[in-house]
Amino acid sequence: MPEIHFLHLFQGIATMVASDPLIAAARILLIALGISFVYLGAKGTLEPLIMIPMGIGMASVNAGVLYLSAKTMGTIFIDPIASGPEKILDVLQINFLQPIYTFTFSNGLIACLVFMGIGAISDIGYMLIAPVRCMIIAVMAELGTMLTFPLAVAFGLPYNEAAAIAVVGTADAPMVLYASLLLARDLFVPITIVAYLYLSLTYGGYPYLIRLLIPKELRGIKMDQKTIPNISAGEKITFSIITGTVLCLLFPVAAPLFMSFFVGVIVREAGVKQYVEFLSGPVLYGSTFFLGLLLGVLFEANTILNPKVILLLILGMTALLLSGIGGIIGGYIVYWMSGRTFNPVVGIAGVSCVPTTAKVAQKEAHAANKFAMILPWAMGACVSGVISSAIIVGIYVTLLQVPTP
Amino acid sequence: MESFWGSVKLMFFIYALAAAISLITAWVIKHIFTLIRMQRNRSEARKSAKAGSASMQGGAAPKGSA
Repeated sequence: MPEIHFLHLFQGIATMVASDPLIAAARILLIALGISFVYLGAKGTLEPLIMIPMGIGMASVNAGVLYLSAKTMGTIFIDPIASGPEKILDVLQINFLQPIYTFTFSNGLIACLVFMGIGAISDIGYMLIAPVRCMIIAVMAELGTMLTFPLAVAFGLPYNEAAAIAVVGTADAPMVLYASLLLARDLFVPITIVAYLYLSLTYGGYPYLIRLLIPKELRGIKMDQKTIPNISAGEKITFSIITGTVLCLLFPVAAPLFMSFFVGVIVREAGVKQYVEFLSGPVLYGSTFFLGLLLGVLFEANTILNPKVILLLILGMTALLLSGIGGIIGGYIVYWMSGRTFNPVVGIAGVSCVPTTAKVAQKEAHAANKFAMILPWAMGACVSGVISSAIIVGIYVTLLQVPTP
Repeated sequence: MESFWGSVKLMFFIYALAAAISLITAWVIKHIFTLIRMQRNRSEARKSAKAGSASMQGGAAPKGSA
């Protein structure tokens, strides 16, 4: 019988004992964090669709470190820094999640797939109820995306990285992933994780912001349902094809995102049932699942030891908070413009994060007045938020993209 | 470190540009749909007028022919 060493047998423990104490502590912390994400996701405190796969990914990758050679430690999950055709071909044959990372993450495909699914579940007709008012709210709700940029520069980040973290304020996680891949490839893992973590908290945090900034009598304003026009599928398709084409013409760098979103919308409105079911089911949930799993797997100990992570956590939170405040200011502007008939709570939905913020807005209005029905306007502001966010990402990326070596 | 004031200027430029594009898009969309609806209403009015006159003629013909 061969001589058996306990630490040879259990390499996850052996690598922990052999590694730097700081790395070992970070691994233990991330395992615990991963387990708590799964627990909070299953409980419903955090968004389960993303947090459950992310949590299990984090716990597994930080536990499953082994000796790849006599002196090299690593995992057989993924190698995000592999570059060059030979090295990539090698890791594709070893790391089981590498094909998904290489072929869908590093080129932004996964963000576009999520966007196709979002398009297929979004009723663009809500935006057409009051397009200019919805857009005013959406533009105001980009306050965090804007103010966080110089703030991040003041904290010492270069322009491209500052823009990447500021995009968290758009509250569109696939958009954050896409922008950070193009603007700050080295930081895309922590930035995307910060975005998903905070977005899953918005459902819990924004109601307090609404109650703090809007008095109860304004939260309960009833909106006239008779003003909602009947919008045909043909009109929605016309809107989507015109807007999509114009935006692609203006910002070719964000064209994949625009195309993905509007193809989802058009397929839905054209009534191609098979495609709608495909995009809103397997594509949306399949990509969300793998997005969560891969983000978790990418969250290794070295990631949180990056000194920029604390800064990203603070800036991400600031961006979302300022966007929420901006959205509510937008709600107030439209409230005054409409002769005090518009419910300012709709403003929070301009932050985007379809359809979570619209649901939050409706819930808060309903809590203040059980007859207040604001969901159609809130969905309109939400969809406008997606469009304004994509425009801002297009401008940021066009101006600040770092050329790939 | 890149200049803070440069980033503030850039922020104002980006915000103004994004706001202008977003609001122009919304404004154009609003007017396109106003036109579409006006045309739809007009054609519906025409159709109903035609249908009305046809029914009036159809109703009068038997009397005249009788």
